[in-house]
Amino acid sequence: MHKIKITLNNEKRLVDIEPHEILLDVLREKLGVKSPKCGCDRGDCGSCSVLLNGKSVRSCLILAVEVDGQEIVTVEGISKDGLSKVQESMIDNNAFQCGFCAPGVIISATELLNNNPHPTREEIKEALSGNLCRCTGYLPILEAVENATKEGNNE
Amino acid sequence: MSDLKFVGKPIVRIDGKEKVSGATHFTDDLEYGSNLLYTALVESTEAHALIKHIDISEAQRFPGVIAVFTGKDFPYKFGLYMKDRYIFAMDRVRFVGEQIAAVVSRDKRIAERAAKLVKVEYEALPALLDQMEALKKDATLIHLDLGDYIHVPWFFPQAKTNIAHWRKTRRGDIKKGFAEADYILEDTYSVPRYSHCPIETHAAVGLCDLSGRLTVWASSQSPHTQRNLFAEALAPLGFTHKDIRVIAPPIGGGFGGKAGVSMEILAAAMATKLRGNPVQVIWSREREFYNTSQRLGVIAKLKIGAKKDGTFTAIDHRLYWDAGASAEYGANVVNAIGLSATGPYRFPIIFIDSVCLYTNLPPCGAYRGFGYSEFMFGLESHIDRIAAYLKLDPVAIRKKNAIKEGDILAYGVPMNPSGLHKAIEAVEKEIEWGKKVKSDDPHKAIGKGFSLIWKAPAMPPNASSAAFVKFSEDGSLNILVSGMDMGQGFLTVMAQIAAEILTVPVSKIRTENPDTDRNPYEWQTVASHVTWSCGNAVKNAAINARDQIFEVIERACVLPKEQLYLEDEKVKCKTKPDFELPLKDFVINGIQAKDGTFRGGPILGKGIFMPEFTSAYSDPETSQGGHPNVHYTVGAAAIILEVDKDTGKMHVKKAVEAIDAGKAINPDLVKGQITGGLLQGLSTVLYEDIRYDDKGKLLNPNFTDYKIPTAKDIPDEIVPIIIEVPQPDGPFGARGVGEHTMIPAAPMIANALQDALEIRVKTMPITQEKVALTYLKNKEK
Amino acid sequence: MSILHDFEYYNPRNIEEVLQLRAEYRDKTRILAGGTDLVVQMKDNIIAPDVVIDIKGIEAFHEITFDENILFIGACITFSELIESEIIQRYFPLIKEMSLTVASMGIRNRATMIGNICSAVPSADSAPILLVYDADVIVRSASKDRIVPITEWFAGPKKTTLKSDEIVTGIALHFPERKHAGCYERLGRYSGEDLAQAGICILAFDDDQYHVACCAVGPIPKRLYHIEEFLNGKVIDQNVIQEAKQIMLNNIFPISDVRASKEYREHMMGIMLERGLMKAVSRLHGGENA
Repeated sequence: MHKIKITLNNEKRLVDIEPHEILLDVLREKLGVKSPKCGCDRGDCGSCSVLLNGKSVRSCLILAVEVDGQEIVTVEGISKDGLSKVQESMIDNNAFQCGFCAPGVIISATELLNNNPHPTREEIKEALSGNLCRCTGYLPILEAVENATKEGNNE
Repeated sequence: MSDLKFVGKPIVRIDGKEKVSGATHFTDDLEYGSNLLYTALVESTEAHALIKHIDISEAQRFPGVIAVFTGKDFPYKFGLYMKDRYIFAMDRVRFVGEQIAAVVSRDKRIAERAAKLVKVEYEALPALLDQMEALKKDATLIHLDLGDYIHVPWFFPQAKTNIAHWRKTRRGDIKKGFAEADYILEDTYSVPRYSHCPIETHAAVGLCDLSGRLTVWASSQSPHTQRNLFAEALAPLGFTHKDIRVIAPPIGGGFGGKAGVSMEILAAAMATKLRGNPVQVIWSREREFYNTSQRLGVIAKLKIGAKKDGTFTAIDHRLYWDAGASAEYGANVVNAIGLSATGPYRFPIIFIDSVCLYTNLPPCGAYRGFGYSEFMFGLESHIDRIAAYLKLDPVAIRKKNAIKEGDILAYGVPMNPSGLHKAIEAVEKEIEWGKKVKSDDPHKAIGKGFSLIWKAPAMPPNASSAAFVKFSEDGSLNILVSGMDMGQGFLTVMAQIAAEILTVPVSKIRTENPDTDRNPYEWQTVASHVTWSCGNAVKNAAINARDQIFEVIERACVLPKEQLYLEDEKVKCKTKPDFELPLKDFVINGIQAKDGTFRGGPILGKGIFMPEFTSAYSDPETSQGGHPNVHYTVGAAAIILEVDKDTGKMHVKKAVEAIDAGKAINPDLVKGQITGGLLQGLSTVLYEDIRYDDKGKLLNPNFTDYKIPTAKDIPDEIVPIIIEVPQPDGPFGARGVGEHTMIPAAPMIANALQDALEIRVKTMPITQEKVALTYLKNKEK
Repeated sequence: MSILHDFEYYNPRNIEEVLQLRAEYRDKTRILAGGTDLVVQMKDNIIAPDVVIDIKGIEAFHEITFDENILFIGACITFSELIESEIIQRYFPLIKEMSLTVASMGIRNRATMIGNICSAVPSADSAPILLVYDADVIVRSASKDRIVPITEWFAGPKKTTLKSDEIVTGIALHFPERKHAGCYERLGRYSGEDLAQAGICILAFDDDQYHVACCAVGPIPKRLYHIEEFLNGKVIDQNVIQEAKQIMLNNIFPISDVRASKEYREHMMGIMLERGLMKAVSRLHGGENA
């Protein structure tokens, strides 16, 4: 048994885990954070994406024990003090349908915009191409990310 | 109807905020408490075999195992339209991956480990992996007792064969039809199976409490139908409908795959034997591929006759469907196409055979498009080829033969009002049909492809919807319905319909996914029918609430109810302009009379809808005499496709799709359906390529090798066009569009390839590999 | 999906500790860097090590250095770090071009180049690039250090010549002193994330010398020396290309599988050789640094 300490959505959390436990399961089942979803369990779909030290990663491919002492942000963390601009833009653009992929997409979009506040359409596609969405055809999501950056310009 | 305030407006979806904030909790996100039980399955390794023996003893002894179940524990048949499946395999397995046993534990890993200890002894039987093999007279029988299965009256299973259903539609003398033709084209098209790939896999949790109350939470398109099927299957255990409750949390995509009952019955059944403990069953992505319904594969033999001027004289369409190991749902796809395989065209003479065959592959069922994508691939390819032979323009020949309101459908009923011709013209204009586009890159060629859209909801004749609307003290509304929002925007659209009648803004309306105990009946959220059907129920419920409002005002305020109307959340009176009473002042607490007493009380509207004009009774030899479909939704679409001649790589530069929504209650959501549906359709033709080995094992049950498109694989531009020719019995004229949007994708690609490279691909998928190698072979000829 | 077997997890802070664990537990250990392959394989129960050694705590493994024309890529360097590295962008843009074809951002943020060659799948994208640069794999064990030329690294599908007590600390690449440019062409089923169904990397030098390597068209990624011999000294034109394509067909051994047929892989290797040579030569003369 390992006792690990992580900063989860800006809060210090302690949790006991076995080495075989997957970060995604620990987040969902032991830490009560449900926005990362299991869609494929092997890194193909991106639904389980979280920010680990600011970078998007697949929590289904990480052992929980690996993240001891590190910082994790999920969509719950991003939304805690009001929605981000890109989330607002996604609402306005009806960007999602079933919404199962939404948390993963928002994680990828957040990482992108943190590093590159004014991405091109191609850069947005590249950043989101690891997040599978079966409903929307992606266009409304891409437009929403673009709109979020445009609003930034107006400020 | 230009004065509509909420209907027809691109309103932001009412569940948008919860979806982007992570607040949407899907079935597996809910907490079921610390006594939750996990399950692990034992699955068939054989495509077709007798089960000689199952040894569960070692698994039972494994520390931490609570129970091990096999078929013997639940010897009950179930199925939506035909009871042809068991909860666990009984004496035989019929596909690789079929569930044989389940191990239950409080610990996931213990369940998984113990499941590996269950030993199954098989006696192999010949496996039928191809529907044409299954059709042969001497083929091994997959269901020996097919003749005894209970089924709906519109199915015609053939005992002692593998034919689960055979729909025949006939009109006129087919020989005469072809004799009148100047040109006849006959060919075969094949479409393989496909997988739905919702990003949320199937999930269900069953809890039978100690009082005998069974609750099932399921990622479901069909909560009421599931309750009904659970009650039927579990009746031997003493369960009635009132004992069973299905709660349907938001679902992460359905596309038909979560319609009816599949794995959910495992959670329900096992829960009945583990009282007091919630029992969780969740499909892995792998299992999602091979043990939920897939889309049926089809081999379509098509013959069309035409006169020199392009007028069609006759169609002979024989479709052989691979329904897999169970046809309880899939046979209805076959049925629907047997009635509609003419496409949106006038054929004076019609001969259709639509044959549903059992095979030893995973069961197939509903999939967005319900068989129409499959047969339209061949039909729309065929029409381009006939046009080429007759030296006619492909769009011109479509216009010439396209069905119009009042034309008689294959089964003898007049066609509903339709914007088909408007849609064709709109697409023709937007895609600049007839204008050749050349690529600057010598390696690349560009072609255009066109296809029409055609589909009717496939429903039992008595499929119905019901709704309640109830007010709160501040005049806000809850709408209670049992349709599912799978992403299409159903909840928002229902809110817009109620808002329009009751003048309450959408921002003051809450609609949520259902619980069969609390919400009124809905047949299923399938067939692209809920906007139309449940929309009518909601509209009726809102009108009913409005009537109650007017009635109480008449009694309490002594105003004639005929003169009352609603505006901006207030009751007003045509004859008394200074009268206005805000809804919030009385919709719960009533109106106080001078003597201090109250009139009225909570306003609670009720509405139902059933299409009372439909009937499934018809002559089994011709399908004439009934009225199986409520209406068709139609449209047209076209693409500009760029192809790399050497690599076969294809890129859609522009896609245009026009759909006749009757009335788009929410145009932005309709556009969302067009964009999403088109890509799903393009995906089936360009990327998704399911593979089985010669033992019936699925080779690519994951996204590593079953490719669905990413953000990098989308058309450069999609132009959605909404046509509105009202459906007379639709709410505000609306009809459904959800499934239709993907139907034209495959034939458009085939037709555009013909235009670009002069190759004709008649088998799906049309992958870059197939294009490159076909082109290469063509060049060598 | 759970990992069904139990194992010990170690997170050493220095190399010696890693080497000790490897020496002690040998075959029973697995090295964990990005984990994007390892965790999937453990979930699928393809491997079940008793000891998992997480090497991300070792600082030296997080270095990218360029010194005296030698590029060193540490064992924990991710594809994202390669893409963002100024050294890579300036001196080895081909590595960036290749890295961008690996999976997607969420994977590249974690997956490492060393992990890619240690997994040694026939489709490893990193391999052809390392092959054309004649990279050296730097290997250590408790008893000795050795340098394995990348050409001797791959031993078969998912097999390397790494011994069970050894670890890879990094990879070294020499920056060619002659003017050069290259490209990496790969076949996927679509534009999105996909494993390479065939890959070819070409490095062209301004004295008409060529290095050519491939992946996913045989049991191991390899240099295509016969093509190089034929091309060397020649100016690329259509005749040369057509002849080179023929030579290639005798030197690659693709299989048919669920991802692509042998026939298509062969056809595409020809097309990619043609287009790759044109691109590499045009970059060479166009002054592009790739």
